Amino acid sequence: MIEVEGLTKRFGKTLAVDDLTFSVEPGRITGFLGPNGAGKSTTMRAVLGLVKPTSGRTSVLGVQYRDLPEPVRRVGVLLETFDAHAGRSGRNHLRVLALAGGIPRSRVDEVLGLVDLRDAGRRRVKGYSLGMRQRLGLAAALLGDPEVLVLDEPANGLDPQGIRWLRDFLRSLAAEGRTILISSHVLSEVAQTVDDVVIIHRGKLIRHAAMADVEAMAAGSTIVRSPTAERLAQLLAEAQIDATSLADGGLTVAGPPERVGEIAAEHRIVLHELSVERASLEEVFLELTGDPGERGA
Amino acid sequence: MTRLFAAELLKLRTIRVTWGFVVAVLGLAGLFAAGNIGSPPDGGRLAPDYQFKLVLTACLPAILLALLLGILLFTNEFRHGTISRTLLATPRRPVLVGVKLLTGVAAGLGLALLAVATTAVVAVIWLSVIDVPLELGDAAGGAWRGLVAAALIGALGAAVGGFVHSQVGALVGTLVWLFVAEPIVWVLLGLVDLGGVADYLPGVTVLSFADTEGENLSYAGTAGMAVVWTAVAAALAIWRTRRRDIT
Repeated sequence: MIEVEGLTKRFGKTLAVDDLTFSVEPGRITGFLGPNGAGKSTTMRAVLGLVKPTSGRTSVLGVQYRDLPEPVRRVGVLLETFDAHAGRSGRNHLRVLALAGGIPRSRVDEVLGLVDLRDAGRRRVKGYSLGMRQRLGLAAALLGDPEVLVLDEPANGLDPQGIRWLRDFLRSLAAEGRTILISSHVLSEVAQTVDDVVIIHRGKLIRHAAMADVEAMAAGSTIVRSPTAERLAQLLAEAQIDATSLADGGLTVAGPPERVGEIAAEHRIVLHELSVERASLEEVFLELTGDPGERGA
Repeated sequence: MTRLFAAELLKLRTIRVTWGFVVAVLGLAGLFAAGNIGSPPDGGRLAPDYQFKLVLTACLPAILLALLLGILLFTNEFRHGTISRTLLATPRRPVLVGVKLLTGVAAGLGLALLAVATTAVVAVIWLSVIDVPLELGDAAGGAWRGLVAAALIGALGAAVGGFVHSQVGALVGTLVWLFVAEPIVWVLLGLVDLGGVADYLPGVTVLSFADTEGENLSYAGTAGMAVVWTAVAAALAIWRTRRRDIT
């Protein structure tokens, strides 16, 4: 379990995180979302003891990170910034981490195989592609077979197969009861992976909800087209369902498609289209964070 | 602590710069030894303390390189961004500073051992060819002093790196202090009749380890000052490292 309570972090005059409170439950994957510069990485680093909070507290498995015995075995971490010496081989990078964390050397080859880097393990990291560096970071995070995973933008640089592998792998880890926090600035990227979302903007909590609730927010109006649209609009109005005419002769209806279909069938009205107009997850995300102009900044 | 120390040693062994230091020590120690045997100082090769000075002088490059390698031990972490991963494994920062100091000691010892071994090989072969008897007691005395000096200076370098963090800043700052700033301080101290105080400055401490003429503090005094300066730098390293946000 990860807990963040009233976390505030200032860098000089810049307020990076503003009184942020949330928790991440075991057995669930929590997406930590926000536009670039929202304070996600700073929050994660505060949880991991790399950044000292201005006020508030954070804990992992009930204690501050620095008080964790065997932290490498308890918490697996992938940070957004690359953290391996470019002149060291990938395998030696993991050997150093294993030695420091009291992890058997055999585990190094296991995780290299897991992220498909076994063949490149003896090459110096400076020759790795972005995707290989990301997979090396994931290998480092998984080295201690930890019960908590904190992953900052884990899908960066991965190809579609890699992203799918990561999604399935994280789901299997969550099913074993592990606590997983992953950050992203793209909601749709993690939508298929996460159970819960914590959305922040300008360091403040915007929403902490189940992913299903966020997806429900994306459900929009019903679109219906019929050669007798005016008659259908009348019938819908009688059923106290608002319908607005579209320029192309269709209707946009503030009601579920099932109900619209039932009314049309009851009155033998021919339909040419009956569909749901959904807002994209990105539109929901932008609406929640409230500042589309900052996205990608 | 043992695991962390072993991990630090593995870090050192798995980057090329360390092996560059090893090659430099082997070459320079061999060169110093050959120079001292080929053109011996006043008193000749049979002087009472000749072999003591031969070994200690050959350790001088190891002592200076131990200072630089010690600095790199810490500053490499910031230069290459590995400090995050290191602190995730060692979240208690004073412990990290302690482990780095210990690694500085080990690195200094290693470099000095190489220097002693190189000198031994050159001296044993060359001196036996020209029929100069080996004075093992003298040579061992020089080796012992060289080893202790390099170990202490390695730790001092690690502490300096832990305080400064910037690799360029630490390396350039140290060299400027040793060869520019401190000589100016000597002169200024001399002008106000405090020339004796200069013997206690950190740069003099480093260079005094190779002083075979007894012009500076005694060897024990020099070692004591090295411990004091290392303790001061270590305290500053702990203070700075604890305060720093790793972003």
